[in-house]
Amino acid sequence: MKNDAPANPLEIFAYIISTQIKDHTIVYVGTGLPMVAGILARNTHAPNITMVYESGGQDPIQGGMPWSVGGPFTWRKSPIIQEMAYSFGQCYNGYVDIAFLGFAQVDMYGNVNTHMIGSDFHNPKARLTGSGGNNDLTSLTENMVLVGLQTPDKFPERVDFITSVGHLRGGNSRKEAGLLGNGPVAVISQCGVFDFEPVSKRMRVKSLHPGMTFEIAQSCTGFELLKPEGEIPMTPMPSPEIIHTLRTKVDPRGVFTSLPTA
Amino acid sequence: MADFDFNKEALGNLKLEDTGILERLIDFEEARKVHLAKERAKKDKRMSLKEAVAEFVQDGDVVLDTGFGYVRTCIQSHFEIMRQGKKNLQMIGAPNTNQSYMINVGCVRYSHNSYTGAEMRGTDRNYIRQFKKGKVTILSEWSHGGVAQGLKAAQLGSPGVLSKQMLGSDIVKYNPYIKVIQNPMRADPDPVAFIPALYPDIVFIHAQAADKFGNAYIYGPTVNDLAGAAASKKVVITAEEIVPEMDMRYNKKGNIIPFFYADAVVELPFGALPGSMPGYYYWPRQWWEKLMRFAGPSDENMKQFIDEWIFGTKDPIEFVEKLGGAKWIIEARRQTKAAEGDNEDIDFTYQEYRVDNDSGIFY
Repeated sequence: MKNDAPANPLEIFAYIISTQIKDHTIVYVGTGLPMVAGILARNTHAPNITMVYESGGQDPIQGGMPWSVGGPFTWRKSPIIQEMAYSFGQCYNGYVDIAFLGFAQVDMYGNVNTHMIGSDFHNPKARLTGSGGNNDLTSLTENMVLVGLQTPDKFPERVDFITSVGHLRGGNSRKEAGLLGNGPVAVISQCGVFDFEPVSKRMRVKSLHPGMTFEIAQSCTGFELLKPEGEIPMTPMPSPEIIHTLRTKVDPRGVFTSLPTA
Repeated sequence: MADFDFNKEALGNLKLEDTGILERLIDFEEARKVHLAKERAKKDKRMSLKEAVAEFVQDGDVVLDTGFGYVRTCIQSHFEIMRQGKKNLQMIGAPNTNQSYMINVGCVRYSHNSYTGAEMRGTDRNYIRQFKKGKVTILSEWSHGGVAQGLKAAQLGSPGVLSKQMLGSDIVKYNPYIKVIQNPMRADPDPVAFIPALYPDIVFIHAQAADKFGNAYIYGPTVNDLAGAAASKKVVITAEEIVPEMDMRYNKKGNIIPFFYADAVVELPFGALPGSMPGYYYWPRQWWEKLMRFAGPSDENMKQFIDEWIFGTKDPIEFVEKLGGAKWIIEARRQTKAAEGDNEDIDFTYQEYRVDNDSGIFY
């Protein structure tokens, strides 16, 4: 790819995720686009973040893109690598500000499913990975951002299995269940950025990506999306400088930000 | 023996009628008894992997998977367990990626499920198929942190921990070991999940180095292995290298597992293959892609893959030969050292395995 080519959808995705990261924060990331976004944020607007990984790596020296969350690039010369129990304990004790995770399904209250598709646990249409650290981060972390593709199946009214509690049944139900933090604060898809209406905790459009309309976003959703007051803002797009940084310093080999060919 | 009171809703949801099968994982009295009976003297515990598996793995054991899926995981020990035809094992771990292909040969029959998959490499279609055919029964659902806390509780010397994880989720409805209770120290409503201390029957831990008594050091992600070594009834240490005890005292790097946990010590270079080993070798990445993309989709392909790579090799040395021998070792060592920042940066791009383009190369 030539360096001055327009940003591709994955690069735009990585940029939008990166804008959720504030400087001077501790950021818990998985592999793939969230990690690209974290490194991009550190190389642009948030140079003072500390990145934390589920295998326990903390604050690694920047290297290539890891093949696994346990791979050496997630703990490259880390001053400390935490045991798993302590790594989640770090979230509980207030030493993680924001975390990013994917999902197979997310519902109108931001509950996440990575377990199964179908209504019968013993005979599902599809059995997925299970929780991994998804439940732990979503239960404990101060702010959660969910990242994934948006279709009516992936955005159902109710998830088929609650792997991780978002806002549970809305209102105060997350807090009443005993969980910590603000729960999901944003959902990022190919359509737009969504937040949750403060009282009902139902998913609401926050901004739409260029070319998207509310109707398109709604048609990609299995429940009724809430609309914000007034005109829906457009999601800010990356500047050529940011795309240049992404291509030269963050993911120069395009491991996670080049579109699949053939 | 203790009289247990499991989470009844979960027993119903999981359709588990005989709770006897659940008891051994949390049987503290039995674990303490086994621990008390272990060899106390510093004895040379070295033996071959074949001997260790034959002597210590019994059909029906709860096996704890170690490392992180395919990072410093004792996969060659799993392969030997499969070769020796052990049956009806229960598998627990965070993650427990490697239970999947062990189900196909009847080795693993029960799952304490936390995460089964290979991250970016794709969904584990084999596990789904075996589950739907009833070849594996899920005994409990966990988050990674829940397993980590259960093992840590054992290491702490506590009957269990109160956790803020898994609350409100369907995981607690499918885990007989977890109960949601009111925090006894709070007057206002404060639900917490009680997670009991977990005592697996056996653990294999692959370390960078061990001495002949079983002191072992591991560096890179330790994950749950320090707790797992303290908790498990039987502990087999496998290691890339056997070093003098003095090395443990003066040259230690990373975390130490003390000798008195160990029942056996196995010198096992390349014991984490086809996983990666910090300081020693990077993954044969295409191997995992072939497992997920070629072997995963059908039982026939999986059988062919298992016959070739697991039953078709007798030890890690033959496995390395199949991967490419010395040429593979040189490349894998260069890759891990570069990734860890101990070598000049190299280009990590490679050709991913594709079913329609099997290069037969496994870097």
